[in-house]
Amino acid sequence: MTGSASTIGVVMFIGMMVLMALRMPIAAAMFIPGAAGYWLMTDTGTLLNLLKGNAVARLTVYELSVIPLFLLMGQFASQGGLSRDLFRAATALVGHVRGGLAMASLLSAGAFGAVCGSSVATSATITQVAYPHMRGQGYSGRLSTATLAAGGTLGILIPPSVPLVVYAILTEQNIAKLFAAAMVPGILAMLGYMVVVWLSVYFKPALAPATTATTGRAKWQALGSVWPIAFIFVVVFGGIYGGLFSPTEGAAVGAALTLLVGLLKRELSPQGMRSALLGTAETTAMVFMIFLGADMMNATLALTEMPKLVAQWVTHLPIPGIAVVLAVLLLYVLLGCVMDELSMLLLTIPVIFPAIMALDLWGLKYEAKALWFGILVLMTVGIGMIAPPIGLNVYVVNSMAKDVPMAETYKGVMPFLAWDALRLLALLCFPVLALGLVKLLFP
Amino acid sequence: MSGALRRLSLWFGLLGAGVALLTGFMTFVSVMLRALFQWPIPGDVELTQMGIALAISLCLPWCQSERAHILVDFFTQRSRESTVRRLDAIGSLALALMYALLAWRTSAGALAVREAGETTMIISLPVWWVYAALAPGLALSALLAGMQALQLGRQAPAGDAA
Repeated sequence: MTGSASTIGVVMFIGMMVLMALRMPIAAAMFIPGAAGYWLMTDTGTLLNLLKGNAVARLTVYELSVIPLFLLMGQFASQGGLSRDLFRAATALVGHVRGGLAMASLLSAGAFGAVCGSSVATSATITQVAYPHMRGQGYSGRLSTATLAAGGTLGILIPPSVPLVVYAILTEQNIAKLFAAAMVPGILAMLGYMVVVWLSVYFKPALAPATTATTGRAKWQALGSVWPIAFIFVVVFGGIYGGLFSPTEGAAVGAALTLLVGLLKRELSPQGMRSALLGTAETTAMVFMIFLGADMMNATLALTEMPKLVAQWVTHLPIPGIAVVLAVLLLYVLLGCVMDELSMLLLTIPVIFPAIMALDLWGLKYEAKALWFGILVLMTVGIGMIAPPIGLNVYVVNSMAKDVPMAETYKGVMPFLAWDALRLLALLCFPVLALGLVKLLFP
Repeated sequence: MSGALRRLSLWFGLLGAGVALLTGFMTFVSVMLRALFQWPIPGDVELTQMGIALAISLCLPWCQSERAHILVDFFTQRSRESTVRRLDAIGSLALALMYALLAWRTSAGALAVREAGETTMIISLPVWWVYAALAPGLALSALLAGMQALQLGRQAPAGDAA
């Protein structure tokens, strides 16, 4: 029985991979082999019975309600002109430095990431406002596009973050704690990216000309215009960490406030409202279909006991735990080359997470280990978003900056990737980078 | 026919995101009432769960009609256009099957749960409502995906079986 069960498990997994390679939408590529495997291992009645309730069970998970709500918040923020204010303020702050516009776009991407949980959306939004400026000032295409692609990853590193919510649900961790764990690594990412820009233009001044400084009143005006986004961030996260409300309620408050700000500023047109709603609808549906597909696959994998076997196998490997984690992260980098971040998490976490938790890693307790591993995975996912051959962010930025060849962007992305790798190693060796703030906020 | 379905999916999508927004506002008000008067809207968690579930299911058809579901195109970048179209027809068919199965089973679930008379904990809403609420979005998506599969299959030039 065990023999045939694990055979079915393996065949199912391979079937899924083949279907994915053949352009089948990932949700269906997980669902169909999953359902077939389940049927083989049980019978028609059991499968049909399972399907009666599993869509409702998944769609009514209270914690998952944050996803459409955070998506709405990000959509309203970008349609409501908040990103333009952010970029103007950031330019007032650092615009006078050589390469300052690139740094400003990173700052505004980081700040925008504080109200948006998606890296593609962050890239697209900031590119819209920052790219024309950078090119207009004579910035090279390579530096401009690479900065914007890398800056987009701040959207998922700085909370809120849709992939982190998914990780939290899959591993039954506290969303608020995970967001806290992501904060310091996210800010480090942003500062490091700015240093990368600074170094790039220091060694190659041709990449970016010097620009004139914003002075006096204009500077304060620009800085003053970002209060709505600061206010929203403080209310949402202050409320979550002050114990006033749950992450779901925080997301609801954030979506409502962002809409109100957009309306009060008279920036949100009916057309913008329509695109915000439809954009939310599209991404929500996409995310939850992947969930439904992965649920089917995971229900079957649980029957095959593959997660347990993998965990047993991994704990008996004759190498130190940290090496196993490193190997898993490398696997994620490879997977990230062909897969999107959500499917990757949904597919691998149920199998890999128990195995990682069974390892002894720096003597960390269960929860600390789970939070730390989550941030490691998130950062690795971020690398996949900008690394060749298919970095989703690079695609998005390049589709908006058609005058720059993709190869140029990839060349420009390399120094940012080097910082990503360094940061990943640092977090691997010093979990406190992620866990310090959690300890501070949740004593 | 497909034009009408597409328009319908657009309305479903706007309505779906709108329901999510309304649910968000309801929660917002409830949080305020709780903070100010210690009196939240009763059953706000249940209402959120139901509202968001309905919202998600209404969003499904729009995503399908935009064909926005994520897929891996890395390995077929150099394939012929007709091959890609055929593969996409199969992909749409697979999605149609998935939607149809879920729509059918969720409807069956609605009947079973109604029979059992299950209600939510705090404000005693009938649980079968959520099951029933998911069916229209799933069914419309199944229809759309099926149509797309047909259209893509028809476009692929016949004869060069590979």
